[in-house]
Amino acid sequence: MATSRSSSDGDWTAGAFVFSGRPDPTWRISSDVAAELVAIWNSLVPSDNTIASTPALGYRGCFVVDPAERRWTAFHELVTLSIDSGSEKRRDDERRFERTVLASAPVGTLPASFFA
Amino acid sequence: MALRITIDIFSGRPNPVLILEGPEENEALDRLRPESELRGRNLRPLPSSTLGYRGLIVEQSGRATRGLPKEFRVANGDVVAEDFAARPADPAFEEFVCGSTGPIRRIRREPDLSEFILKEIKRLDDLRDWWKPKRPDWPRRERCRCAPLYEPDWWNVQPILGSNNCYNYGCDYRTDTFAQPGLAAGAMYTALTCASVRPAAVADDLISSPNANNRCPREGHLAALVIAPGWDFHWFRKGRNGYWSHKPGSTPVTNLDNSGVTIPDPRTADRGPYTQFCTFMVVMHGHIKIE
Repeated sequence: MATSRSSSDGDWTAGAFVFSGRPDPTWRISSDVAAELVAIWNSLVPSDNTIASTPALGYRGCFVVDPAERRWTAFHELVTLSIDSGSEKRRDDERRFERTVLASAPVGTLPASFFA
Repeated sequence: MALRITIDIFSGRPNPVLILEGPEENEALDRLRPESELRGRNLRPLPSSTLGYRGLIVEQSGRATRGLPKEFRVANGDVVAEDFAARPADPAFEEFVCGSTGPIRRIRREPDLSEFILKEIKRLDDLRDWWKPKRPDWPRRERCRCAPLYEPDWWNVQPILGSNNCYNYGCDYRTDTFAQPGLAAGAMYTALTCASVRPAAVADDLISSPNANNRCPREGHLAALVIAPGWDFHWFRKGRNGYWSHKPGSTPVTNLDNSGVTIPDPRTADRGPYTQFCTFMVVMHGHIKIE
């Protein structure tokens, strides 16, 4: 499930699972960041691991959706790509995918206190 | 046809298993043939979960014969299964199996395995003289009769999962709109503070109950509002078993806090960034409106 789709086809959206009462924050990401995320994804190796247990409250992962409705979710060392026909998990020991998504959030979008 | 006998005794290691066939199987079944029904005071309780010997689990591979169930347990001479309890022709069947000259001799494990098991059979016999079945405190006991049941599976499926939040779950009210306190009443909160979210919920007809002190109301159920100051609000709800559960945003319902433990009181739970406990509130079923 390697992908080389260009990010110039339309809007890419990112978000974080962080709130409980309010809707989770989402934001558009630039074509440069989208291309960087695709490059990171293509460099990752497949994994059979399940997602690390997330805390009940606070930060619980982030996601990216491309114009073709393909959806990546990332939490710690695992990135999962979901499409209509299934999903694929890849290992991201350095959490590059997750860090890149979170770093793309506009200033003030994500509460630092939720990442403790 | 064969008789599989599992000596149910270990916890970490696999239990010893014996397969009896032919004449040995026939002899065993003859010894196990029910002679008298066990009932009333003659039927001593059998601990379902204890450390050490718990009985022999006997399984007939073919059709059940000799008036015995297809699968049953033999413990201290009692043959028991669901809706079945009898005294067999040979009440010393376990000693026959586990004695040094019995079928257990074929198991090449510790040389004193037979002696160990015979001692354990006696220990179980003594235990059954005084052991009384006790209903677990949780989750069966209903502490809050009017409160909703903890049924996470009902919420943890799409599209319910993604479109209902902690407020929906706390109120036990599915809207599929990610409900916001006060929105239905035209009085939505204006700041993410206790002082702003609490009156918004009151506008939805939740009843502020700051003195509830974790006690169930006579009617409706108890909810609790907590705040991540400046960022978000969160709701817990008290269930019928007296414990609390919650639905963090669009993620699944859980009865655990951030430390992974059950929640007897949300005031003392590990709530991560939701550091401010705001208040208890009562949700009267059918009397609130949220969206």
